[in-house]
Amino acid sequence: MSGPRDKKKRPNESKAKNEKEFQLKRRTMLKLGAAAGAASVLAPTILTSRKALGQTPPTEPVICAVEPDNSPPHVPFRDNFTVPFPGIPTDLDPAPQEVANTGAGEAARANHQRWAEFQPDVEYHLIAAPSTHRFHADFQPSYVWAWNNQIPGPTILNAYGHPSVVRFRNNLPNQQNHTGFGRSEITIHLHNGHHGSESDGFAGDFFGTGLWKDNLYSNIYAGYDAFPPDGDDLEAMHSFWYHDHREAFTAMNNYLGLNGMYFVYDQKDPGHELNASGSLRLPNYYGITDIPLILTDKIFCATANGRTELYQEIGNAGPPLFEVGAPGGDKWVVNGKIQPKMTVRRRKYRFRVLNSGPAKAQWDLSLIKPDGTVGTLKVVATDANFLEHPVDVNSTTANGGGVGGALRVSVAERYDFIIDFGLFPAGSKLYLRENTAQFVGNPSPDPLPPGLAIENVVMQFNVVNKESWFPPDSPPVPGTLTTYPTQPATQREFTWQFTRDPAVPPGPLPGDTEAARLFKVNELPFDRNRIDHCVLQGSTEEWLLDNNSATSGGPSAWAHPVHIHFEEFRVLRRWVRGPSGQAGDNIEIPVPPLQAGRKDVMKLNAGDRALIKMQFRDYLGRYLIHCHNMNHEDAFMMARWDIVATPQQLCDGREEIIKNRREAGVDIAAGLPTNKDGKKEGLA
Amino acid sequence: MKRRELFTDFATRSGFVPHRASPGARRYTNALLRTHENEEVRFYDDLIRGRQCVINFMYAECHGACPRVTATMLKAYEALKDRMGRDLFFYSLTVKPETDTPASLKEFAEMHKANLPGWTFLTGDPHDMDTLRIRLLRMNHPGIDFDFATHAGMLRIINDATNTWAMAQAFASIRTILQHIEWADPPKSFEQRFKENKELQAEIYREVKVYGYRKIC
Repeated sequence: MSGPRDKKKRPNESKAKNEKEFQLKRRTMLKLGAAAGAASVLAPTILTSRKALGQTPPTEPVICAVEPDNSPPHVPFRDNFTVPFPGIPTDLDPAPQEVANTGAGEAARANHQRWAEFQPDVEYHLIAAPSTHRFHADFQPSYVWAWNNQIPGPTILNAYGHPSVVRFRNNLPNQQNHTGFGRSEITIHLHNGHHGSESDGFAGDFFGTGLWKDNLYSNIYAGYDAFPPDGDDLEAMHSFWYHDHREAFTAMNNYLGLNGMYFVYDQKDPGHELNASGSLRLPNYYGITDIPLILTDKIFCATANGRTELYQEIGNAGPPLFEVGAPGGDKWVVNGKIQPKMTVRRRKYRFRVLNSGPAKAQWDLSLIKPDGTVGTLKVVATDANFLEHPVDVNSTTANGGGVGGALRVSVAERYDFIIDFGLFPAGSKLYLRENTAQFVGNPSPDPLPPGLAIENVVMQFNVVNKESWFPPDSPPVPGTLTTYPTQPATQREFTWQFTRDPAVPPGPLPGDTEAARLFKVNELPFDRNRIDHCVLQGSTEEWLLDNNSATSGGPSAWAHPVHIHFEEFRVLRRWVRGPSGQAGDNIEIPVPPLQAGRKDVMKLNAGDRALIKMQFRDYLGRYLIHCHNMNHEDAFMMARWDIVATPQQLCDGREEIIKNRREAGVDIAAGLPTNKDGKKEGLA
Repeated sequence: MKRRELFTDFATRSGFVPHRASPGARRYTNALLRTHENEEVRFYDDLIRGRQCVINFMYAECHGACPRVTATMLKAYEALKDRMGRDLFFYSLTVKPETDTPASLKEFAEMHKANLPGWTFLTGDPHDMDTLRIRLLRMNHPGIDFDFATHAGMLRIINDATNTWAMAQAFASIRTILQHIEWADPPKSFEQRFKENKELQAEIYREVKVYGYRKIC
């Protein structure tokens, strides 16, 4: 099994494929060369992976002696801003294969779907293991779980048309040897990749210490079969992220560090800014002018025994951060650093911001100029998709959805925005502001713009003149970035209700109204083996995402960033809670500009509803819809839906759903889709 | 001090060895409780220390969620009968200690056919019961944490020997609840997991033949 690697001997490979492969490998090498060049030029900017070599595993975390009122203080802007080092392609040994290589320790899985068509051009090896990471120069190292010893994990840079296999290896400590929170079983979801369910990181498909798993990412446009030869390039997505999806422990494992970003380039967004056919020529050099901003919030203990540990209450309970009502951490972390400073040249930059959770409901981000006024974030992409037209977000447009016109980033959402630092003279200092305050404990070493408190600052930008070797400014952002693909006629409608409400109807006796208020989707808690909706491959459906359900027994008081796996959706209609404040009372509003494009996370505030439309193409299997507040997700606010191949399976699936709902004693009609004729399927 | 040593000795002999990082009574408290058999017990030393257990909150007069939760736990009990009282314990703690005497808890247990070995119903000082509820099921939300009814549907799963915490919704399916309890079991050896992984692969092949994709996990 683990013999030497020889791609030429693989079946299903023509000479042409080999030639293509050679070119691809060469291209990969060139790309890597470019990244390495960037690394040498900007050595202080890109996080080194020196740690990755020959490091002995750290000792287990030191548990905080007492619950701190706040994390230790830090001096702002001591650390340089870092960008995660790119993932480095490798030749995996043993070579990836269609059938799970359980003999060599691969986790059990179904065969890779469409393996013959999507043989991997590029391979990566990501190893999850305990490590230490220093979140701030004033802190000692903290115990973390990291991919290849990097916080955040390596950014994988790929291109459409070049399938990749990422081998995720679990070298986390056995549960018996681990003293802290976190669950050493993992399953990795690429958010929001279009691929087979065996590579989708389904919440129940986790694997334990010592095992590994190959995820095949075909890197194709959705609609591959319908739009030969390469799929529909209007379906292009660019900013993905990978993270652990372990059922019931997602928040903890992500908090410990098991996530990272994954970019996919194509002609429009080629990874460089040169004049190339079809390129939008946005700032596009990874780590130089195209910068991921991975945001998270944390709580730390005071330093003890040479460590500044991530605060954990006691033992495996974890910090209060994991309690569903928790306000979150008190340190804002961007790419693994607290309040870093970034040197920027006088030109345009693209930032790909991600709220990696686990539970900080939203970041309300705005750019603060030296005079204290709010600058413009030109949003070009929502989640992973280019907007048709860029949307300016600043204090006057009210486009961003956040407080004071800020850009609101809910858990798992990504937004790409452009900041033009060419508008500011060298020596200017700008700030990225978050609307809520963190704990700093020290004054700002630099005088801040009027009205800005140091507690609100996420990071500082120091504008300098552009050196001659630095890439010249990219052209102005085009007024039109893309057109949205046309979606076919809707075949079925389905409703997903997100509730945390009485599960037991009030009865006749005193005390009967006391009910278990639990997080549920369509009245049921998550069960990985229960299908809650069945979809025919190739079909198109409209789904109502409802956080103001009239059947839930009371008005919702919770916000849920709802994420749907597999394909991107479009929002057709939006509602907010009506004036009565009662469940079921909704007022329709125009779809906000940042929700009018293609998305995969829909933040529903308490009382909100959204009607979305999506397609289900190219693959089969089990996928998920869930609240991406990872604490809610771990508290069972997740549901499984399946894509099946034949109408017969669809019919069987529906029978199964009816049976399951009957057994659970919940409304059967509420779990059934409405077909074209406006009738509930399967009900007389 | 002497008492502590005696307890350690006892715990070791009976196989209940806490994990080296167990928070012990510091988190769980050693509140003095009274069982439905009217026996005095210390919460950590006698009930949690080195053991695996499932904890829920209820009260005897509850007609809403509690009977249903108890019925669910009874199903789980039946499935885990061989382990109950040996290396797995169920604890039902009252949220209304003012009215729930050991006798009324016993009546509740008998009414639900839950008066079984390894399943203990507990009452105690109201302040202690509140403390335990907050320590075990805190949501960090004042409105929720002080409304005792909202915790009725949750099962806290603890294994003090592996220092594992898990939680399950009591209204989840039995198979889901059993999975969550199993996740707090002592971890298997790599060899055992490696072997089970291979067996699982064989099952997946059979499923894929029938459904076209892996359906069950």
